Amino acid sequence: MSQRDELEDQGELAIPQVAQSEHDLLMLARALVAGPDSRDDIWSLLCATRQVAPKIGPTCANLLEDTLRQVWRSLWQRGGTQPRASYPLDGRGPVRGRLWERYQPVELAFSSATLQLLRWLVQTPFAAPASTYAKLPATKLTVGDQVMVYFALDAARATPALQAIAAQPFVQAAPLAWLGFATYLAAGEHGVPAFDSLTEGAGPIVIEALSGELARRWQASELAKRSITNPAELIELGEAQDAVLTGWFDACDRSRRRDLAGFVLDAIAPLIEREVSPSPLELEPGAPLSVRARARTSAGSLLRAVTRWHAWDQQHRGVRFIDDDYAVAQLLLARFERIGSAGIARVNGWLADLASLAPLPPSDTVSSSEGNRIS
Amino acid sequence: MSRAIQIRVSESVVRTVHVEDGIQSPLEMLPILAPDRMGELLAAELEAQGFLRDGDKATRSDPDGVVIEVDLKAATVTARIGESGQLAESIDRRANVAIERKDTVQAALRDDVRRELDERIAARTEALRREVTAKLENKLSDLRKELDRAVGRATIAALTERAASLGNIQSVVEDEAGNVTIKVKL
Repeated sequence: MSQRDELEDQGELAIPQVAQSEHDLLMLARALVAGPDSRDDIWSLLCATRQVAPKIGPTCANLLEDTLRQVWRSLWQRGGTQPRASYPLDGRGPVRGRLWERYQPVELAFSSATLQLLRWLVQTPFAAPASTYAKLPATKLTVGDQVMVYFALDAARATPALQAIAAQPFVQAAPLAWLGFATYLAAGEHGVPAFDSLTEGAGPIVIEALSGELARRWQASELAKRSITNPAELIELGEAQDAVLTGWFDACDRSRRRDLAGFVLDAIAPLIEREVSPSPLELEPGAPLSVRARARTSAGSLLRAVTRWHAWDQQHRGVRFIDDDYAVAQLLLARFERIGSAGIARVNGWLADLASLAPLPPSDTVSSSEGNRIS
Repeated sequence: MSRAIQIRVSESVVRTVHVEDGIQSPLEMLPILAPDRMGELLAAELEAQGFLRDGDKATRSDPDGVVIEVDLKAATVTARIGESGQLAESIDRRANVAIERKDTVQAALRDDVRRELDERIAARTEALRREVTAKLENKLSDLRKELDRAVGRATIAALTERAASLGNIQSVVEDEAGNVTIKVKL
């Protein structure tokens, strides 16, 4: 008898058996966690609608637990491997290294809400009209649950399901979803939730891992504003972004983790370098001037966040060598260096132009120093 | 066999509408002197341009109906325009129906006519609003230049005052580009 046969007899190589609906649920969970590395066609998975029993079996529960254990790994792959500096509030002061070197191991907790989300994703017929979807009610979410919501939105970003997922009260209750996908959540009926859950426990580690992605998303959103012509759409987006950034900056300030708002600087820096303002190229000329002016002012949400960073920067400059927070202040000063006084002058100029009586028309395309053109 | 009759519904409406549009923008005042003093200097410049001062506000009503209000304390300018008009519309409509359906058709016809009247009034109101917006928009470019000049002159006055507080002003020279050189003997 071969070794394989012996293991099979002992049940160690037996393929776990689960119901078909549980299989779909597990496949979806694995695709979400794998993220960009997933080889599954997410749209096919979302469209393969199947009723899921109210309870899952123990085999499925174990497999789901195994899948969720890979979430940390997935976060490392999304940006946790880059050596950086941060200051976890565990008394060690600023720490440099990869994300797992900067933080002590922390549990990433998931609740039944994750299962609720996966069940809804499997049961919802995304190929059918949105009016036929069942609502996914809001519930209390752990940081782990929020990460799964983020992964779901990220996986669906290129599919028609994105709007439907973003509109769910469950998703709108996830602060992490707002940080990453404010553009899509802005149209929802629910307000921006509090962000404090993301500045304590596992929250900061998640944010640091996703920092690069968040910066890219906010940058893309700024570029997209240039082509918005409907003032109402721009007002809705800008006001939602203002609420998100104000809430996030307040939460970072309260928890003394201003570095967590660093993705805002990473988002704006390339736009400053290439002189690309978020000013809309053309708003509907028939709309009232008051509405167009409000829309233009709303477009400056990220710029206003940068001016708040600038105010912080001024405070950091005042921290002396003998002060307790000197090392942290130096780290934050280095973070803002990329923007500098020239960058903040440009940001203030853009804000003034957005609020101007007769704004100057922005150029259609802007040449960068490398010769790339951004429209 | 039922008899056919002709129904005639005639409705007219006269509505007074008021449309307005406006825009508010901050004025870029350099903090050379205390905000109150900067406001005073700006007020003096604005009064020279036909503004009437009332406390912290300087207002001017232009012949084209645009009202410009500068808040000297908050350093903001508001330009707004409003227009009222009396819009009259009437519709006369006829329909041939069987006599038994007279009441039903008449009610439906009247509802249609009223809806159409509302739509016509709404369209004319929107057209009036667009007219008003266009008038204001045409004004803004000139207004911006005018206010920039006033703010520039107020800034020069503030600089001169500040220079005077440092020593004796020897000369104030302004070139064609608007640059001002103030020589002070300390």
